[in-house]
Amino acid sequence: MENMIKLTGLRKAFGGLEILRDISFTLPKGNVLSIIGPSGSGKSTTLRIITQLEKADDGNLEIAGETLFSSVDGKAVYTTPDKERAIGLKTGLVFQQFNLFPHFSVLRNITEAQKAVLRRSKDEAEEKAISLLRKMGIADKAKQYPYQLSGGQQQRVSIARALALDPEVLFFDEPTSALDPELTREILKVIRELAEEKMTMAVVTHEMHFARAISDWAIFMDKGVIVEEGTPEALFGDPQEERTKKFIASFEE
Amino acid sequence: MQDLLVQMLEGTVTSLEIFFLTLVFSLPLGFVVAKGKMTKIAPIRWIVDLYIQIMRGTPLILQLIFVYFAPFYLFGTSYDRFTACILAFVINYSAYFSEIYRSGLQSIDRGQYEAAKVLGFSKAYTFFHIILPQVIKRILPALGNEVITLVKDTALAQTIGVAELFRVAQTASSREFSTVPIFIAGVFYFVMNYIVSRLFTIGEKKLNYYR
Repeated sequence: MENMIKLTGLRKAFGGLEILRDISFTLPKGNVLSIIGPSGSGKSTTLRIITQLEKADDGNLEIAGETLFSSVDGKAVYTTPDKERAIGLKTGLVFQQFNLFPHFSVLRNITEAQKAVLRRSKDEAEEKAISLLRKMGIADKAKQYPYQLSGGQQQRVSIARALALDPEVLFFDEPTSALDPELTREILKVIRELAEEKMTMAVVTHEMHFARAISDWAIFMDKGVIVEEGTPEALFGDPQEERTKKFIASFEE
Repeated sequence: MQDLLVQMLEGTVTSLEIFFLTLVFSLPLGFVVAKGKMTKIAPIRWIVDLYIQIMRGTPLILQLIFVYFAPFYLFGTSYDRFTACILAFVINYSAYFSEIYRSGLQSIDRGQYEAAKVLGFSKAYTFFHIILPQVIKRILPALGNEVITLVKDTALAQTIGVAELFRVAQTASSREFSTVPIFIAGVFYFVMNYIVSRLFTIGEKKLNYYR
């Protein structure tokens, strides 16, 4: 199967402290990958490097067949700024804190980048936004402002905002960690529906049952390395490494 | 009495000229200064910091005198009082505005920049359409305070002989052995500032549609 993401030998340090040590994985097109692990394990940093919010120190990354950076003499060398931007448009990211634009209405949050970045017409952008809001079950909120919405509704707007640019792969950085259990279910349902439509996704999450149910492949990270990976059945049902067992057991109650 | 009012209105026009010209130049310049204070390039940051310290740490009246007389003592040339006055006000107010802008810029969550970056907005687009509107909403009360102070500070221009409202009032006062012109000037300043503060209140209300 064609790979959407091919990451090898990723390294990253912040002020001398190694956050990521030799991270490699592939994400085939149409698959869902879940990344689990304790805080500070480097899960978020990995997503932030793929979505270009941080720079890699070393490694190779191909997104939809295009090289974002490759390792030359132990250093990550990036492609041209134009190509960086083009590759960036293939990826979408949903944040833990939603990060909606508070001064824009729900509708404009979703249309703004379509118009300014993709140069879509106002009508086209709004049509797209409305159909996405309908899909998210919040079409009636189009004229409201983010502060008037619940956390779950805000997160659905932010997912619609990301999808509006037709990314080839969508990343979720702990999308439900700022939400209470009921609102968490709303968001998980949306992500599950996207998985059924064969959207390529990678999800950093602490929702173990959810991760097990939706993903095709699961990775357990700790202290900047991939400790164990496998099918969700194998990783959650029969973990081999001591650290993986302990981590997964800590969620069983 | 009518003559006095005409003179005072002329003085008011000069005061308003100082007021508007200062705003026109120092509002945008303040942003440049704020950027300089926040830059990663240390030497620029130090210089900008020293400039802000001097502007805030010395009296505006002294700065006016310095700006007007320094060229004369240094190069033996003198120049127009009004130009000197505008120059002094602009460099002083740019420093104050820059600190207000900086407080606003630093209060914007990093997530706003990150969301904009991930969505593919250019840096300029992000600044003007995502960040700046939010900054303006947050700094409007502090900005209003500073602009009201500027209305009153224009009275200092008389130090270097600019015939603004307060100088006209003082001259009339000593000519007529009466404090009435001074009080009339007070009413003028009050009216100007009442308008300024109403405008800022309207602005704040307009931006009240979101949180």
